[in-house]
Amino acid sequence: MATTTKPEAHLEALTKIVLNNLENQHDWTGAKAHTQANLPRPMIYGLPPKRLYVHPDEQIAIIKAEKNRSERIPQPPEVEWVLPLHLAEKWSPAQFAEVFDAINAIPPESNNEEKSADSENPDAQWKAWRGAKRGKRLLLATVQDDSTVIYYFMFDGLVKPRQN
Amino acid sequence: MMTQIFLNMASAVPDRQVRVSRIGGRYLVFDIEDVVHIRRHHGMCAVFVGTMPQNPTQSILLSVPIELYAEEAKLLVDKKAAYIVDDAADHLSQLKTMDSSARKAYFQSLKSQRKAAQRVFDDSKAKDRARHAHKVPKGKALPSSASAEVEDSLFGSGTSAPASVVAETVRLPAVTPTASNVLMPSSAMSDTAPIKVPPTYPLYAFLNARGYYITPGLRFGGDYSVYPGDPFRFHAHYLATYYGWDQKIPMLDLTTSGRLGTAVKKGFLMGAEKPTEEQDAEPDPTGKNVRVFCIEWAGM
Repeated sequence: MATTTKPEAHLEALTKIVLNNLENQHDWTGAKAHTQANLPRPMIYGLPPKRLYVHPDEQIAIIKAEKNRSERIPQPPEVEWVLPLHLAEKWSPAQFAEVFDAINAIPPESNNEEKSADSENPDAQWKAWRGAKRGKRLLLATVQDDSTVIYYFMFDGLVKPRQN
Repeated sequence: MMTQIFLNMASAVPDRQVRVSRIGGRYLVFDIEDVVHIRRHHGMCAVFVGTMPQNPTQSILLSVPIELYAEEAKLLVDKKAAYIVDDAADHLSQLKTMDSSARKAYFQSLKSQRKAAQRVFDDSKAKDRARHAHKVPKGKALPSSASAEVEDSLFGSGTSAPASVVAETVRLPAVTPTASNVLMPSSAMSDTAPIKVPPTYPLYAFLNARGYYITPGLRFGGDYSVYPGDPFRFHAHYLATYYGWDQKIPMLDLTTSGRLGTAVKKGFLMGAEKPTEEQDAEPDPTGKNVRVFCIEWAGM
């Protein structure tokens, strides 16, 4: 088919590989390709089976809140952005900046009931990290030719590392 | 909290002009007061490069001078917190114009430094003696004091003159001044030659303006290691690398750096400066056009 020579065909295939990998290897649900006029290529968003990222300061807020209520606070997963890339690609900071400028911190279809959390309540400080305090982040999904996909978080701005 | 600390730090900077010596293309600070000042108020720890004349190859107990990165020297000058001096030329010109009273004052200051050193030695020796006094049996007290005398003469052999001639000074320890600020209280000529900074300067300025401390980054494979406070108290948060705004970065570079960073519990920070409209504008000392991204392994 003539379309196979188009660059979009390559991006389509790349997106498919990552979608497939997310659903079948990492058990994501609701993973969807997302196109947007100001995005240079389709992105993906979806829900991982368990929570992928907790900011170190959020972790402190959670521990404080747990101390007060003497029980664990459940940590349901958050919807994450994914940017499919091929290992052979070369991206400039300008391109990454373009992607970050085009997306919202919270992907569409996130069930952010926490968004309306009572900000007066210090016990609920940690909830803000799922809403207003959430910074822009995305997963760089890098595909190699043998269809290995590796995932790295990329954050917009200075975000201190987690204490793994 | 980080910004809080930084703001406090910035608001209370005492007015001090740090003397930075340019020697052989390197930027060195010799005065310990200056070293403390820039560490405390400008978030720069730089690298200690001074060693001992007796053992120049040892590298674990390094002291003043500190060697500044060209970035650090430029940032200090841009913030009007330091001035650069071409040390060789400055020394020559100042020594030539020195009058005899200045000479005398200099020798006097050397002597007082040596006296101060002697006092420190005496004090610590006295403390040692006091500490060990109860351990020594009465009968053996004599030989130990004799050995102390031998020690005295060892420390006092700073001058080559015969002991009988300069009996007063022979006991004073030799002192090698680490800075010539007594010799030359003010530097007449400030070197205004432009400081050549590496292309990573905007990232340095960006991080320094946000209160981060920076050390060389080679050990983690980046341009800089970035600490959230003084490296004496904190582990590094990031290994940072600077890229051009439109520089094409192979994905493998980002992956390997991200992998290494995660392995050492740091984030990989990539920074780039967005070009501005103005042509050949000086890099901004607060790095306001710098954009940074952090990369960490996702754990999946």
